[in-house]
Amino acid sequence: MAEHDRLADEPAQRLALRAQRLDGALEALRGASRVTHGAKVPRALDAARQILAEEGGLELLHERIAALVEAGIFRGSDWDEPDRLVPALARQALTSPDSATVVIEVLSELRFLAIAEGSYTQRPLTPAAAHSHLVRVVALNLSILFGIAGEAERQQGERLAAIARRSLCFIVDRLGFEQVIDELIAEIWRILEQRPIRVEPVREMITQIARCLQDPAIDLGGSGRGAERLVSSLYGPTRACSEDPGVAGYAERLAAMDAVTLQGEVLGLARSMHDTGLVSPYHAVAVRHLLDSNQGTLLPDVLGLSSTGRDCLLCYQGLVHALVEAAIHPQSCQALYGLALMLERGILYQPPVAPALWRQLRLVLAPAARERLLQTYGDTPAPEQQLLAGVLAVLGQPLGIGQGNNPTCQSARALSMWSYAEPDYLLQMVAWAARDDAIIMHFEGDAISSRDGGLPRPPLLGFDLDPVSLLVVPHLDHIYAQMMQRCVGRAEDPHRWVNPEFHGWWAGRGFRINVDVATGKLAALEDFLRHFFACYHPYYNGNQPLIHPQPAGIAVTDSAARFIGWHAITILRVALDQAEEMRVYFFNPNNDGGQDWGDGVVVSTAGHGERYGESSLPFAEFASRLYIFHFDPLEPGAPETVEESVVAGCAERVRGSWAADRIPELAAQAVPPP
Amino acid sequence: MPDDKKTANPENYDPEKGYIALLGWSLNAIEAADQFDRRYVVVAPDWAEEYCQNHDIPYLPWNFERLNDRSVEIAQTLKDMGVDVAIPLFEETVEWAGAINAVLLDKPRLFGQAMLLRDKALMKRRAQLGGIRVGIFEEAHDKDDVIRFLKRVNQTLLKLDGDPNDPIHLKAFDKAGCLGHRVIRTPDEVDTIPEEEFPVLMESHLDGWEFAVEAWIHDGKIAFLNISEYVTLGYSVFVPATPDLEQYRDQIRQQIELLIKTFDIDFGFLHPEYFVTSDGTMYFGEVAYRPPGFKVFELLERAYGFNAYQGLILAFDPKATAEEVAAFFPKEVVDAKTYAGCFGVYPRRRVVSRLEMPPETEDHPYFESHELTPPLEETVTKRTAFGTHWGLVYFQGEDPYKLRDLLKAQEEMDFYV
Repeated sequence: MAEHDRLADEPAQRLALRAQRLDGALEALRGASRVTHGAKVPRALDAARQILAEEGGLELLHERIAALVEAGIFRGSDWDEPDRLVPALARQALTSPDSATVVIEVLSELRFLAIAEGSYTQRPLTPAAAHSHLVRVVALNLSILFGIAGEAERQQGERLAAIARRSLCFIVDRLGFEQVIDELIAEIWRILEQRPIRVEPVREMITQIARCLQDPAIDLGGSGRGAERLVSSLYGPTRACSEDPGVAGYAERLAAMDAVTLQGEVLGLARSMHDTGLVSPYHAVAVRHLLDSNQGTLLPDVLGLSSTGRDCLLCYQGLVHALVEAAIHPQSCQALYGLALMLERGILYQPPVAPALWRQLRLVLAPAARERLLQTYGDTPAPEQQLLAGVLAVLGQPLGIGQGNNPTCQSARALSMWSYAEPDYLLQMVAWAARDDAIIMHFEGDAISSRDGGLPRPPLLGFDLDPVSLLVVPHLDHIYAQMMQRCVGRAEDPHRWVNPEFHGWWAGRGFRINVDVATGKLAALEDFLRHFFACYHPYYNGNQPLIHPQPAGIAVTDSAARFIGWHAITILRVALDQAEEMRVYFFNPNNDGGQDWGDGVVVSTAGHGERYGESSLPFAEFASRLYIFHFDPLEPGAPETVEESVVAGCAERVRGSWAADRIPELAAQAVPPP
Repeated sequence: MPDDKKTANPENYDPEKGYIALLGWSLNAIEAADQFDRRYVVVAPDWAEEYCQNHDIPYLPWNFERLNDRSVEIAQTLKDMGVDVAIPLFEETVEWAGAINAVLLDKPRLFGQAMLLRDKALMKRRAQLGGIRVGIFEEAHDKDDVIRFLKRVNQTLLKLDGDPNDPIHLKAFDKAGCLGHRVIRTPDEVDTIPEEEFPVLMESHLDGWEFAVEAWIHDGKIAFLNISEYVTLGYSVFVPATPDLEQYRDQIRQQIELLIKTFDIDFGFLHPEYFVTSDGTMYFGEVAYRPPGFKVFELLERAYGFNAYQGLILAFDPKATAEEVAAFFPKEVVDAKTYAGCFGVYPRRRVVSRLEMPPETEDHPYFESHELTPPLEETVTKRTAFGTHWGLVYFQGEDPYKLRDLLKAQEEMDFYV
């Protein structure tokens, strides 16, 4: 290249020239009306691309990120609302051959960085949430960071790949590399402790770490403690596969083992599975080996079953063998964990469950359902087998269901509740959705079909959903919307009627809400709280543990205790923890139950007596974020015994957090309590 | 974030001024109208409806096919709405504007005038009748006509057998700019013309320097006259022109005045092309009654700072006053703050996988921005006629000669690799 005949030779001079172009582009963008705004964004993105290609370019854009955002560089794009962005999608953008896509993603990460560092604010995203987002983005893209992306890079072109790589390096430098890796490992453990069904993002992060650990050219420094155990749980859980010999090689080794070695081997696999909740593909190989070589007696060992699970397995051996045969493959190995936990739950003893599973084994999928499974998970194993694996996971881990990146918390909550309390009903729903591509539910005596209403079912983002959710949630969501529609015009909150009809007979017909639907202001708060304590708190309800899971509504707040939105959860249990503190244990269909709701209210997911998948809060703290609950009107507890000080303390937390701007006028407050 | 530009603001509209209909879809034209002081409505095919709704743009659906019995319907609709004048944004809407304005302004003559401006063969005859110097031209209905014309032109030029032919140019009667434009040198090349392109207009090749003019006409007089300099036809253009071309400004102005007289133009906008030979003789190529391609309006705004679309609205609006027009336009050439040009990119390789700006372009201080998009297909279709470019690259700088050479140099670069 003939460098000398260029006018801008010096790097600094080039950068200044490009910065000037960016200024011009941003000025044009700011000057554009709504008519041409979208058409003027590409020029600004291209100017940013030129800067990113230069030494010092990232620093320059990082400094000017506020100006870029305010000129509207994200407006009208998927990147406009940072709190809605998913770390798992960053990779696709960063490896895109389209420079505008790469650049807008990089700019978006720089915006996250500025928010995390506190130099820029964009509500409702908190610095902590921005930080956590970045850590995950880095984690999911370690291969880009270390330049071991290979093929993708070739397709993308060297220059764009360099931009993606350098931007991640920049972010890591700012956050601190060792801190990122350590945080990432802690994060993975924290997620695993909640035992989600969908572990693909975790698997991907671990795989990325594994590649870094293996590459002698990469020095993780002092960081990465605890990574080995995660990596081995996927790639080498036992001695016989510790060096990741490949599925075929491992099968040969298993075939050559004597009885004692084999038993030791399968126990090792089970230990690793129950330790992390992650299943190695080798585990599936071992299970299939046992069945193929007539050593089914080792099944309880390879599943790591207790006496309960072992007993259940022995009673339903034919069914379990058929389930393993159909559902457990190296690609769907994770379903083994669901199978083991399903057996442990003893739900096969409920008469309808085993025959319903036999139906599931032979279920013929509707073409639409088949297509949806194929599109999301590919064709190996077959869609029927994927779905069966998904059913096992849902039955074994009712609290591992997540809504993914979809606004469908009610439907995810319903699925979880059914698996938890009425698994045969859940299996019925799956059969309807998968076989008939239609579900019918009833509302106040009228049948409502998921095909009614003439509205198209909203598209679902499937990449982070389990197979059952993928098929059933669109139907449920549509039915739920129709039920809500039928309540339009009623004077009260529609959840009063919809929740019991939608979730099941056990959802209490009694209903309390502490927000006035018409004005959005707080209403009868103290009375609401007193009633909640009396219904749910064992000290005030005659020491009655909660019987059925109950739907409830939460006002979610950010870490500064500001209102974010309404959210559907399930109250599962109320019990004392090891420190003798009364806690509410609940299910949050949001993918991550552990959240900081501000004002000291930090949702715990482990360490306070939680079972896998449960979230928990001390009773009063939970009550301070509650806005809807259901109860049985015939079992009202003893509201008069609830101390005023307890109610007052709780009410203060409500008014100080999500309801800060919902406090009614004095006149309205003067209404005497009923 | 507060955004006061999200909706149209009727308070901007001056009730004393005209109500404008824009015929065709051009975002920059809409933006200009939106930020101007007159009421407007966009008349465009129904695919534009969603965008208009989402962006709060006044809109009337109309599919501009050939003129037909329903043509009077759109004119009547616009008249009922109180629209004063229709402005064509594209070649295909010129005759519609003529038909509509004939009704709106009650001047039936405007329709015939538009038809003249739409048909290149009629246009040349009219020019010839008006005493404007044109080349030899003829209509061709099949390939034999083309071969005969090629031979006759070269006979006229006293070429002997075996001498290289002077080329002839083939153009569609009614397409804009370079669309359908072919250069034919030998009878063999005639076979490459698809049958469906006929009939076409054939012209002798005019040796000389080709350039374009943009003239805003108000009340039969030139309100602003720009000369656009082509570096290579179909590739690049810049404004204002170099002093080498600007030296002909007075003669060019006379030519435009002749054009106004010949075509009986009272208002609006003319975009003719001329050739000037080394002895200063002007040959008329063709004229269009709509904004030029290659984003010349945008280049003019970059160079002078005035919005050429708003100028267009003024030139068409029957309610615009002479004072308003005089105040709006800058003084030609001397008021230009810079020279602005653009280059149309055609991929040079047969197989391309991505867009990569050449460093020689990107590091040049004159380079400003580009509108290139990533390739949709890997294989590049071979260019038969002067095809459509893949996007424009914009430059600006103080030295017109440097700018010209830079634009020329772009032809040797690969933007798609």
